[in-house]
Amino acid sequence: MDPQNTTAIRRSPAAWLPERLGLKRGGLALQIAARIGSGLLVLWAAVTLSFVSLQLAPGDIVSLLIGEQLRTPEVEATIRAEWGLDAPLPLQYLSYLSRILHGDFGRSYILQTDVTGLVLSQMLPTLKLTAAALVVALVFAVASAVSTAGRRVPRAIAGALELTLVSTPSFWLGILLLFVFSFTLKLFPVSGDRSFSALVLPALALGLSLGAVVGQVLREGLERALEEPFALTVRSWGTSDLVLRLRHCLRHAALPAVTLTGWLVGNLLSGAVITESVFGRPGLGRVTVEAVLGHDLPVVLAVAILSAFVYVALSTLVDVLYLLLDPRLRDESRETGR
Amino acid sequence: MVTRRTFLGGLGAVTLPIIAGARPGTAEAADAPVKGGSLTWGVETEPNTLNPHLNGQAKAKLILRNAYESLLARTPDGGYAPWLAKGYAVSEDGRTYTFRLRDDVTFSDGAKLDAAAVALNFTKLKEPTYSGSISAGHVSYISEAVAADPHTLVLKLDRVYAPFLDGISGLEILSPKSFASPQLKAGGPELSGTGPFILERYVKGQEIRFVRNPAYNWAPANAGHQGPAHLDRLTYRFLPESAVRTGALTSGQVDVIEGISGNDAGLFKDSPDFAYQNALNTGTPYTLYFNVTRGPTADVKVRKAILAAIDVERIIQSVYRGERQRAWGILTPADTDFYDKSIERSYGFDPKLANALLDEAGWTARDAGGFRTKDGKRLTIEVVQSQATVRDQRDILLQAVQAQARQNAGIELALQYVDAGTYANRQNDGQYGIIPNSTTTQENGLTIYFHYLPRSKGGSINYSRTEAPEVSAWLDEAASTLDAKKRFEIYAKLQRFALLEQAYGLPLYVPDDQIAASTRIKGVGFRPFKRLPESAYDIWLKP
Repeated sequence: MDPQNTTAIRRSPAAWLPERLGLKRGGLALQIAARIGSGLLVLWAAVTLSFVSLQLAPGDIVSLLIGEQLRTPEVEATIRAEWGLDAPLPLQYLSYLSRILHGDFGRSYILQTDVTGLVLSQMLPTLKLTAAALVVALVFAVASAVSTAGRRVPRAIAGALELTLVSTPSFWLGILLLFVFSFTLKLFPVSGDRSFSALVLPALALGLSLGAVVGQVLREGLERALEEPFALTVRSWGTSDLVLRLRHCLRHAALPAVTLTGWLVGNLLSGAVITESVFGRPGLGRVTVEAVLGHDLPVVLAVAILSAFVYVALSTLVDVLYLLLDPRLRDESRETGR
Repeated sequence: MVTRRTFLGGLGAVTLPIIAGARPGTAEAADAPVKGGSLTWGVETEPNTLNPHLNGQAKAKLILRNAYESLLARTPDGGYAPWLAKGYAVSEDGRTYTFRLRDDVTFSDGAKLDAAAVALNFTKLKEPTYSGSISAGHVSYISEAVAADPHTLVLKLDRVYAPFLDGISGLEILSPKSFASPQLKAGGPELSGTGPFILERYVKGQEIRFVRNPAYNWAPANAGHQGPAHLDRLTYRFLPESAVRTGALTSGQVDVIEGISGNDAGLFKDSPDFAYQNALNTGTPYTLYFNVTRGPTADVKVRKAILAAIDVERIIQSVYRGERQRAWGILTPADTDFYDKSIERSYGFDPKLANALLDEAGWTARDAGGFRTKDGKRLTIEVVQSQATVRDQRDILLQAVQAQARQNAGIELALQYVDAGTYANRQNDGQYGIIPNSTTTQENGLTIYFHYLPRSKGGSINYSRTEAPEVSAWLDEAASTLDAKKRFEIYAKLQRFALLEQAYGLPLYVPDDQIAASTRIKGVGFRPFKRLPESAYDIWLKP
């Protein structure tokens, strides 16, 4: 394919960071500034879109807050005044923006609690869950792809298993795991964010289907890499098959898988909603769903900012990973950098 | 001031008997309760706020009652038993309520419970900035809350309001310091009550933990025991999925659960290792309310036709396998104050009548789908159900009703499940044909007011949107008398009018609460009268 693939094997690791990232020394500050700028732009867009979409969604927040309780004009006016809902919309929007610039995310309409504290306290369990699920997914994907790529029968079995996992709703998978490992075998507890053992089943429920998707992509990439001329070269050195797969081919196969993983982490966060509720775990997922249903604007906006932030951070990380994985990109950017 | 009712020694004329010990758990009395141990209870609903004043969720009460208590308790026959108040008196004109408080009660933050502290609670509740729409409820009738002496609280009303005592005596009393807490509205350990347990820790999305209040010695007169609670520690774990609660109990990870689906009930009923109990809810049954201001249901003949077209008994039997009870009235049979049993079987399934009524109403033609039409328009009624309140297999129940309406009378019920915002909008604007709903929290006739007063006058959940002048007149009459018998008669008259004459709604079934517990857990049960699961005060663990 590309002759530069062979250079990847030849080059020895060296002091690499700025250079490998394709950053010319003089342009480094500019590059970082551009990154931060585009990140801020994404954050602003996320806030604005969430604000607008909640305003467009049916239902007035005051009606939702009063619910089916008695409503009097006095009560309505008090609620509007309390939450600043009596101001015109553009003003509400601007005052919100200015408050978050000062680090004040407001108070939840429904939970009546400070949003910063709420989101931070719920973020940790969700991060634990998604990180554990990601580990499950990657371990599953790598193990399944490396051990079965290019081998007919194991490949078919792994493929079938992956297809089953991908098409199993995570709610159902969660209940099934609970039924077998918690209710029947009593190996793991059902609920909460209390110990490592309580994390195992939720991480499996959330991570396996993701691992199955990544595994399939990874296997195809591996199979393609195994047919490349460099694979023959490496084999001719007498390297074992496993080392060939892990050390040389996996890197080639990883590119599309990394792209996919970056995108799927977003799915992990939304999948966390169901997993959290099945396993009775605390977390952002449930908080967010309830906030959206109840038009709890301060919570929704804080979560939107947080997810946009996570997304920006992740996509940066993925870009960096690309550069590390694929020398072609490095060389290109070095050339264009000159 | 002449007192009408009291169980005070000195203040009044009549002394009410105090009913004691009529609680489950004491029935199996032979074993003496054992002190100590900890209990884990899997619950369906997580409180949205832990402030008991602001929390309107019926299903959160069982948790909050461990830490927060009220002036009087209810007895199974609808009477009142002493709790934080030793007694109460109502003046002859029904506008002055006097509560004589216990003098030995302390809040968990060390403050003494006195009349000034209780008065502060009522004063705060009247402020909309604190309590929102609750300020427009019972407390809005209080014109003055004063401490006549350290242990005598006097509440003056601006007019007679019959449901007042039930509402006011059930409000939880917080310590004065709580009102200064920054956590006031969200609730939590910083809000002190007088309960047998002290709220220790709340982990949002996971659990809420209590420890025993060792100083506690002021249980309601009709509680299962007196003195501190039996349990050392108590944890409520939030498990929103019904199947997960069931599995957690059967595998011994929790000791008690509430909220058991009709399918799982048999599992616990038939097992020697578990005890299953249920209690019908008070309030209103799950009812289809017909919009009388819009569409085909504006015609009383169509409304009566729907009542006759649905074989409710058969549907309930097949959907719930005999685990739920058919409803007949505007209140559930558990509402011992005002449920008039004579409504039962006074109407019912009669497809011939249904079809005759629809013919009379002009829905004579049929279209290709077999539905009735008038002037080329199909007889379609929109059923708007909030997605958030679909529980207890109500979606399946509605499908069964839909099928019968079609088969028996050619009526098309268009089922629409909507989000909370859309629901609130359509409810406010009257953009629906039918709204199915049930309520559990309001009692002492109050729910009748919310359902049948015009919307502009406090009928906040008047789903039928009736503004019939006779209904409003009856309700005014009932609210201004304290004569329970007279109120009963008025509500009975209203019930016949609403269901038999006007067919404002079709009651389907009586919702209930279910509890299952491992058999070594003793003293689990329901509150007398209000029939919600009771706190853990009387619970003990059999070794």
